[in-house]
Amino acid sequence: MRTTDAPALEARGLTRRYGGRTVVDDVSFQVVPGRVTGFLGPNGAGKSTTLRLLLGLERPDSGEALVFGRPYAELEAPLATVGALLEARSFHPGRSARNHLLALARSAGLPDARVEHVLAQVGLAEAADRRAGGFSLGMGQRLGIAAALLGDPRVVVLDEPVNGLDPEGILWVRTLARRLAAEGRTVLISSHLMNEMALTADHLLVIGRGRLLADCSTAEFIERHTDPEVYAATPAVARPALLEEAFLRLTSDSAQYTAA
Amino acid sequence: MSMTHLLRGERTKFASLRSTWWCLGALTVLGLGFNALVPALLVGGWNTMDPATREQFRTDTLGLVLQPGAQWAQVAACVLGVLLLASEFSTGTIRSTVLATPRRTPVLAAKAAVFAGVLFAFGVLIAIPSLLVGSALVSAHATIALGSVASVRAVLGFGVYLALTGVLALSVGALVRHTAGAVATILALQFVLPAVSQLLPGSVGQHVAQALPASANVMLGSGHGSSSVYSPLQGLLILLAWTAVAYAAAHLSLEKRDV
Repeated sequence: MRTTDAPALEARGLTRRYGGRTVVDDVSFQVVPGRVTGFLGPNGAGKSTTLRLLLGLERPDSGEALVFGRPYAELEAPLATVGALLEARSFHPGRSARNHLLALARSAGLPDARVEHVLAQVGLAEAADRRAGGFSLGMGQRLGIAAALLGDPRVVVLDEPVNGLDPEGILWVRTLARRLAAEGRTVLISSHLMNEMALTADHLLVIGRGRLLADCSTAEFIERHTDPEVYAATPAVARPALLEEAFLRLTSDSAQYTAA
Repeated sequence: MSMTHLLRGERTKFASLRSTWWCLGALTVLGLGFNALVPALLVGGWNTMDPATREQFRTDTLGLVLQPGAQWAQVAACVLGVLLLASEFSTGTIRSTVLATPRRTPVLAAKAAVFAGVLFAFGVLIAIPSLLVGSALVSAHATIALGSVASVRAVLGFGVYLALTGVLALSVGALVRHTAGAVATILALQFVLPAVSQLLPGSVGQHVAQALPASANVMLGSGHGSSSVYSPLQGLLILLAWTAVAYAAAHLSLEKRDV
């Protein structure tokens, strides 16, 4: 690929306004391979919008959203480059899981065999011929993750992947994310569940009211934003549990909602 | 991303929903049914028919045995056309679609091509038996030259009429993005406006009605029907223009608007 040096995902001064409201405000960051990057922020902070901008579903008012140095829409093999699970459901309730994935695979020129592979990978092989409208929230998430993995992508973007999953499912997503990163892929996961992120993410991007508040390793983030006395009194093994406190201290003034 | 891949993907999507088969079933039943019903009723009422109607019966027998089916089958074609894209928006499938194939307008082209192909095939397959049955039904009072240019044109015209109307509905679905709203819009265009325009004074109403896309069903007639002010070719061009404009608008809308 001609742009091998470019970061897997990059936001450059990304700004998006809805009407007069700035939802994403001059956000810049890079996401690199080989580790799980957590994308944290209170509800309404601009996480999903930022991800939609990176994936070309929306256009920025200014700035750039790049995948290996190019806008998503200009990728030659999008599904083999980026696999994404979006927060909102993205399948037709009347179509079976298998047919949903087959249609995507065929449109993208991927072999049908990939469909069987990802169905087995996410544990939906048995339910593959049922109408997806009858799926539980957790099964719907698994179908979304199957679609994200369809092209065996180098970059995986998961927006709130553990929503609606049971503890077993949550553990499964955590293990999957860590394995994908260990394989050298780029993994970006958004979540508002702090304890889950503390266990999954090596690196954090924290966003509040559309602005990037932090871009550092998870350990560093906890150390920097926790009460020093509390931090010192907490044994190293228990420090991930302090992420929630660190996060709340950082974002307490930014979790304000714009009245409709 | 190639057009071959897009066509395969869209074909899979098209065939994998129950609503597709319900609509195509309805289209077939309505098409065959009304093409047989209307001539049968007219022949049954022959003795009480006024001379003017008898005259029209004879001059445009072809239209009589093909236009009723097309008029009703297009309802199913319109509903299905709207569903193909509007339901992608209402269910969120469009997001999966544009992630897999971020160049959106070729997706619209592939969808339109698959749908138009299916509708053309169904149209021709409905028109052929309709013509045979219709010709037998009216044989006591009129004849249809089955091998004539007009008959061949009408049979192909049935397919073209459904295909272009379907793509028009697909485009309306892409523009309105809301299933119920898009169905209401296309049915108003195809049924309500022609009826309302008939209320206009003199021949104005007739000219307005025949500038609407549904006027293209003149393609299915002999070209000598007294109720049509345009020729079959003009009818085709009118529908083609409507479909092209709606398709172009859908193309722009997909390109510009977020999904």
